[in-house]
Amino acid sequence: MSFDFSKAMEWAYKDMLTFFPENVSTFGGELDSLFAMIYYASVAIFFITYAILIAFIIMYRHQEGRKAYYYHGNNLMEFTWTLLPTFLFAGIGLWSDDAWTKSKYAYRVPNPDVTIDVLGYQSGFGWQFRYPGPDGVFGNKVRNQISSANPFGIDSNDVHGKDDLVIISPGGARPVEVHLPINKNVLVNLSSNDVLHSFFLPNFRVKQDAVPGQWIKVWFNGTKAGRYEIACAELCGSGHYNMRGLLIMDSQQDYDAWLDQQYKLVKPELSAPVSDSTAVAAVASDSTTTKN
Amino acid sequence: MQSATAHAHETHGHDSHGDHAHHHDVSFIRKYVFSTDHKVIAKQFMLASLFFLFVGGLFALLIRWQLAFPGEAIPLIGNILPDTWVSDGAVTANFYTQLLTLHGTVMIFYVIIPLAVGMFGNFCIPLMIGTDDMALPRLNMYSFWLVPPAGLIMLTGFFFDSGAAAAGWTGYPPLGPSSGAGQTTWLISLFLIGFSSIMGATNYMATILNKRAKGLQMFQMPLTVWALFITAILITLGTPVLAAAISMQLADQYLHTSFFMPDNLLVGAPDNSLLTGAFVQKGNELLEHKQLLGGGGQPILWQHLFWFYSHPAVYIMILPGMGIVSDVLATFARKPLYGYKAMIFAIMAIAFLGFIVWGHHMFQSGMNPLLGTTFMLSTIVIAVPSAIKIFNWLGTIWRGNIRFTAANLNALAFIATFIIGGLSGVFMASAPVDIYIHDTYFIVAHIHYVLFGGALFAIFSGIYYWFPKMYGKMLNESLGRKHFYWSFIFFNLTFYPMHLLGVGGHMRRIYNPYIYEFLQQYQPMNQFITIAAIILGFSQFILIFNILWSLKYGKKAPRNPWQANSLEWAAPAHPGHGNFDTDIRVYRGPYEFSHPDRETDFYPQWEEPQGDEKTVHETKEHSHSA
Repeated sequence: MSFDFSKAMEWAYKDMLTFFPENVSTFGGELDSLFAMIYYASVAIFFITYAILIAFIIMYRHQEGRKAYYYHGNNLMEFTWTLLPTFLFAGIGLWSDDAWTKSKYAYRVPNPDVTIDVLGYQSGFGWQFRYPGPDGVFGNKVRNQISSANPFGIDSNDVHGKDDLVIISPGGARPVEVHLPINKNVLVNLSSNDVLHSFFLPNFRVKQDAVPGQWIKVWFNGTKAGRYEIACAELCGSGHYNMRGLLIMDSQQDYDAWLDQQYKLVKPELSAPVSDSTAVAAVASDSTTTKN
Repeated sequence: MQSATAHAHETHGHDSHGDHAHHHDVSFIRKYVFSTDHKVIAKQFMLASLFFLFVGGLFALLIRWQLAFPGEAIPLIGNILPDTWVSDGAVTANFYTQLLTLHGTVMIFYVIIPLAVGMFGNFCIPLMIGTDDMALPRLNMYSFWLVPPAGLIMLTGFFFDSGAAAAGWTGYPPLGPSSGAGQTTWLISLFLIGFSSIMGATNYMATILNKRAKGLQMFQMPLTVWALFITAILITLGTPVLAAAISMQLADQYLHTSFFMPDNLLVGAPDNSLLTGAFVQKGNELLEHKQLLGGGGQPILWQHLFWFYSHPAVYIMILPGMGIVSDVLATFARKPLYGYKAMIFAIMAIAFLGFIVWGHHMFQSGMNPLLGTTFMLSTIVIAVPSAIKIFNWLGTIWRGNIRFTAANLNALAFIATFIIGGLSGVFMASAPVDIYIHDTYFIVAHIHYVLFGGALFAIFSGIYYWFPKMYGKMLNESLGRKHFYWSFIFFNLTFYPMHLLGVGGHMRRIYNPYIYEFLQQYQPMNQFITIAAIILGFSQFILIFNILWSLKYGKKAPRNPWQANSLEWAAPAHPGHGNFDTDIRVYRGPYEFSHPDRETDFYPQWEEPQGDEKTVHETKEHSHSA
């Protein structure tokens, strides 16, 4: 039981904005500056209202023989302090909307350079990832083929599914580790087979609930190579805290090498290049929503 | 019920009430246990909720201990708790999840709502509108007597092998319905407490609309009554939706429906075999349960239904507090409430907008992002009436003559903390900003600034303010101030740093944050918060001690100890069943403080106008009587 006093008092001497973990995504900076804008407005309002509150408490403290001012209010004042906050808050709302649509609206999701499927799972607590394999095409997902051996429900009759690369937790205390390339638009199709999870990449300012029965698109574009943590932000059971994963952002070259290595590890029998299906890779999209 | 009311009028309405014993031979049980007297019911709500406040507080401290010193034995009690809860004296992950679920549920449904609505609604409404009792006293009694069984049903979960509910206070499916019997007790308990709320709320509305004293117009009622009236409307509109959602989740759990459950779920083996589907072997030991029947359900539907109630519930918890604070501030600033009608309209606006903002809890839930834009704008609009209220309170103390009683200190603290809670709300109202801070400690900080800093300080204020009328004894002011200072300082030291943890990305509801590298640096701050929280928790014993001490040794309260204007102070110091010993007639609004034509700085609502009629007509809200 150790106690570091200066770290414990960080809240008292460090500015709130310095607490953000490093941002490494393209739209993260915009979200951070929106936060900062609201923060500065809040700090200003805080100091103004507290100054008034404290001044009134001191100036108008009880004094024998003094009588308070008999006054019921003033409509002009009411209008003023209705309209001022309305403009301020409406401004914040309208200003926010662009960043919101950019990160979440389907029509603003850019063309993906890399697409992966991600599932949160509860039995053992962690994340499962699916890459499309050398043919660049995901096998179709069929809900009634979902099982713990085939969590994505890859259609056993679909030839594109045969080479799909599924990465699961290595077991034990070691977190699952996946790689993605930097400076590429990454599209994540997110879902779950059991309960709600929330795919949280603190450094990328990405958070999206994973909902069973529904594939939700999440995108980001990482700007800096490195090792980042994946967390779960929605209560999913007693192991909720233990859903840590690692996301390694690589250069395209390192990413390709890693993918190749994984492929040899997981699917040695298929590791010989698939002859003509690479041509299909350009059309790399599957019907993401199957049912529900 | 009509005849019971008429009877009550007959026996209590007109004759003197100095001594009730001689013409009332009410048994002990009818007088103190199954009483229909609104004041006794209010005290029962207070005692039950203060009990649950300590239960919920204990849960919070166990959670805090784990966050500060994960895996280390809880001091004093760690080694005497059963093995299903702790291992080596430290909370297990499973028990931790139960604790955070029940901390939230108990504090919201068994502490804040029963205190703010049950206790003050019952105590204040009949007295402040100058009547003898509620319109439906028996219904009122039932509304209280659902609370203890409901609360105990929920707590029994801790003694099941599978433990208490562990799906968070929001009970999101599929986690909710796929967990065990603890969740069932949670659902039944909420269903019952919802019934209690509805019974109380219909009663409040009936009472306020039908039983106001002669001459009391709606726009002459104190803000507390107005706030409770609008809260009652919120409860009657919102709670049935929660009841429906609870029924649906129970049906999903036991009747093989799938309102919220998609097909082909692979959920962990539940402890009750009533769930449909097949068990399949997985790995060596883990049983897995695959739900085969049903399907087609939508987990997000629960979130819509739940938040359609639970967002207005936030206002159910805060509006009575806003009413109480308005009355306390005006009384102790010796000034008319600034913008009386604006305050009422702001409450109405909050209540109305409160029903169209629920989606801001769901920005990251997977609902259509277009709705995100809609709910962001409606949420941001609701900040406006809250701002109006802040400005009007500041206007109220402006040029006042402020007395710093314990009640008023708590009311001023309400304003101070509500400013912070309101401002932090703007961050999460902005949907893109919410992406990052959603489900982090920033949210935890916000809700505690609003519900502890806001609602609970207002409740403390109300307790200090009305205690003399409740028990006929004054609370000890010096102890009251000590309780206030300790609570206020350590409240801020506990919850302010949580904003920063949230900005650091610290998720809520995690048993051990330090498995994440980016959170390891925050253990010292978590330890600081825990120490502050422990002191905050123990400071509440000052309040309990004060109540017990004052009941025995407190000064006898006069009829109107605060020189206030509203009607409850016309009643005897310790009113019996039937409340008033005089015929109440109302001549003016409740905020005629420091009237320039009067020598005293207050002018009670019930005091007959003296001298020339002109004086009366000069006051802004004069009586319509002649």
